Amino acid sequence: MTLTIGVEPRAGAVRVATSAVRSTLTVPIVALLAALIGGAVLILAEGEDPFAVYWTALDGVLFGPRGLSDTATAATPLILIGLGYALAYRARLFTIGAEGQYLMGAIASVALVTAAGVRDLPGPALMVIGATAAVMAGALWGGLAGFLQVRFGASVVISSLMLVYVAQAFLQWAIRVGIRDPDSFIPASRELGAATLPTVPGLDTHLGFLVAIVTGPCLALLLARHRLGYRVSVLGHNADALDANEVASRRVMLAVIVWAGGLAGLAGFAETAGVNGRLGDSASLGYGFTAIIVALLGRLHPIGVVLAGLAVAALKIGFEVAARSHELPSSLVGVIQALVVVFVVAGDALVARGRGGSR
Amino acid sequence: MTDPACAVTDDGATVDTTADRGRSAVVMRGIHRRFGTTVALGGVDLTLRHGEIHAVLGSNGAGKSTLMKIMVGLDRPDAGGVTILGEAVDRFEPRAIRSRGVALVQQHFTLVPTLTGGENLVLARPEGRLRPDRRACRDRLASLVERYGLEVRGDVVAGAMSVGEQQRLELLRALDADARVLLLDEPTAVLTDAEADQLLAVCRRLAEDGRAVAFITHRLAEVFSGCDRVSVLREGSAVISDAPIADHSRADLASAMVGSESSGTYSRRASRSDEAGAALLQLRGVRAGRLHNIDLDVRAGEIVGIAGVDGNGQADLEAVLSGRTAPETGSVHIGGATMVVADPRSRRSLGLAYVPSDRYRWGLMRPMDLADNLELGRVPRVRGRRAHRREAARPALQAWDVRSSGPAARAATLSGGNAQKLVLARELHDEPSVVLACYPTRGLDPNAADAVAGRLVDRAALGAAVLWIGAELDELFAVSDRMFVLSDGELIGPFTSPFDRGVIGLAMGGLAPGSAPSKPDRSPVPELEQQEPSA
Repeated sequence: MTLTIGVEPRAGAVRVATSAVRSTLTVPIVALLAALIGGAVLILAEGEDPFAVYWTALDGVLFGPRGLSDTATAATPLILIGLGYALAYRARLFTIGAEGQYLMGAIASVALVTAAGVRDLPGPALMVIGATAAVMAGALWGGLAGFLQVRFGASVVISSLMLVYVAQAFLQWAIRVGIRDPDSFIPASRELGAATLPTVPGLDTHLGFLVAIVTGPCLALLLARHRLGYRVSVLGHNADALDANEVASRRVMLAVIVWAGGLAGLAGFAETAGVNGRLGDSASLGYGFTAIIVALLGRLHPIGVVLAGLAVAALKIGFEVAARSHELPSSLVGVIQALVVVFVVAGDALVARGRGGSR
Repeated sequence: MTDPACAVTDDGATVDTTADRGRSAVVMRGIHRRFGTTVALGGVDLTLRHGEIHAVLGSNGAGKSTLMKIMVGLDRPDAGGVTILGEAVDRFEPRAIRSRGVALVQQHFTLVPTLTGGENLVLARPEGRLRPDRRACRDRLASLVERYGLEVRGDVVAGAMSVGEQQRLELLRALDADARVLLLDEPTAVLTDAEADQLLAVCRRLAEDGRAVAFITHRLAEVFSGCDRVSVLREGSAVISDAPIADHSRADLASAMVGSESSGTYSRRASRSDEAGAALLQLRGVRAGRLHNIDLDVRAGEIVGIAGVDGNGQADLEAVLSGRTAPETGSVHIGGATMVVADPRSRRSLGLAYVPSDRYRWGLMRPMDLADNLELGRVPRVRGRRAHRREAARPALQAWDVRSSGPAARAATLSGGNAQKLVLARELHDEPSVVLACYPTRGLDPNAADAVAGRLVDRAALGAAVLWIGAELDELFAVSDRMFVLSDGELIGPFTSPFDRGVIGLAMGGLAPGSAPSKPDRSPVPELEQQEPSA
């Protein structure tokens, strides 16, 4: 009796685990390939040779003069924001407004580190101040949507998206009036000066990339080994059971959306201080929305999100390279990214149907 | 009107009264229906007659709603036949059956809250494709209101109406098609007593017009004050079928609903402690939802059983005792400390274990593994590695005989009995001083039920105060030291062993022991009238 119990369940557990791992890895890879095939059809329609285009893109990313470092730089905000999305989506909290939290983080940190009296501090101190301010501002902006959800039941999907537009308008005001550089001709903040993130030796990208890469495993550890990670899983699977036995679910909801907002805010500072050098009109290139793709493609797993962030960034950089030597519309990358989402979602549905299980 | 058997003129109401009285309107024979491995109906016969109100009784899951759904074509039987107004039903399809004059007022309202009463009416049976103007809607409703004497305002949106008015609107909508057979699925569950009385009077009038009315309810008082015949379903079969009300007493019906024969071999307590311990669970003047003014002490080492027909306040009692909702007045004390609402961890640290009535909703996370489920409410701030956690869960799963493929299995793969044992393994792990067990054996096979009951009895023997809210009387008799009956939001009792089935049956029917049987069945309860419709 004891023998059977000792042996048989392990075999079962291993089988369950392998099948889960298999579909976890297959779905995003197949989806990515299917999206590239879809893109190939579009490239054909443009009258170009898809193999040549893809080869140029791959060659540009892997062997081009700045391919790898550009990919790393472009992946930084996607990874940070995507990690926040992954956390929120695990709790079944479908925020889509990281763009706003990103902008608020960027604005708050730039305002603080370029303020009179503060901007003369030494660089490392400025970076810590800037990062802290960005995290707090992003968390606050996310927390506002979370508060509206838990207090008034306003859908976080809608309110987080609406707050993006508020943040965009606030950015326009900030760079024209609030924190405008008086010496600048175009609307923009002062240069960040000493707060600019240094280049990592040997990697040819800014410090933010390292932070993003390290945040992934940290979040994985939090999810696997900390009580908050456990509560996030329970919230995602059965909020009533959480309420009845562990903690009020609205507290976990707030915590999750505040963390996600903090990560998006940090991305705002990393991009501004690492790439742009000052806050201008183009403070974001829609990272807050592209990161949704990253979170889904990464299967909501922190390590997966890091890999997916690199993959989506490589896609973007590769096509930029390819567009220089081939006649291609720049919107093609967007189409392929959208196809990735469609195929990931469809793949999940197919896997669920194949198991014959309904959630 | 499509049915030739009932000659109805346009002005309608007073035609074909006496001629049809007592003739069968709907005949159901040998209805079988199973869902997966669950037998919802196992060969049920039911006859509804013109001019009569037929009460259908049964506890939750007895099959009443399934039977009604089959009658209106929302579900089909696996075997058995239905005859409506003399014609056999061959297609179970709502539209076809509705056109034969059968209408169902469902348990949950199906009104559109932002539309007015008139618009809701027209929505169900539109005339033409254009959206009708408000005046036409209001007039159409007004003519029905006048004809049936049911007061509903035609120009007020449904969401702003009281529950009673919404109910009347639902009823009017069913009558709009001039239904000859009217089915009401627990229409009084949400009504105040006065509103329920009014509804019964309306049903009586509709029956006198020659309609057949069937009425699902949990409240026995209504059966005696307003119905002609009664059928009682239990676990998918008709225990009492089409019997005239006069043939039965309340106690009969109550015990028919909950079962009379000993069905299982539930564990009896070997030795009952004579010395009562300290009162570990105390309720003082608790009022919440349907509950009025509950006072209760559960002492260390005893099991107190709460019997009663569903819907008499059990859900409110569970919500208050588990700390999910605060009582409107009164207080709950656990081991002398006041219960904290909406803070489950403090509930656990006070020593209260909670076995919920719906284990899949309140107790388990089905997609998560057994080890994680065991940690709910007890998880440390920093957790060990997953492999270690699973290894640590193994002894508990073995001790509680949770049969599964191991700690890594998902809770969804467990059978009902094993899922309940998993809940008990978690809740009783920290040796709680008070155990709240809500229908702990519901849906379990006899062996599993026996095991679960045995564990709770053992816990009481070790000094815990156990409050057991149950449905099966025999089981409660076997495990309880004292029993109460929850009836219409009040606790009747205590009853002590040996338990008298007759007295407890009467109490479940709403008659307190000692009170005269001629007590009026319904007395308006002013507190209830303030009840707002739940969202």
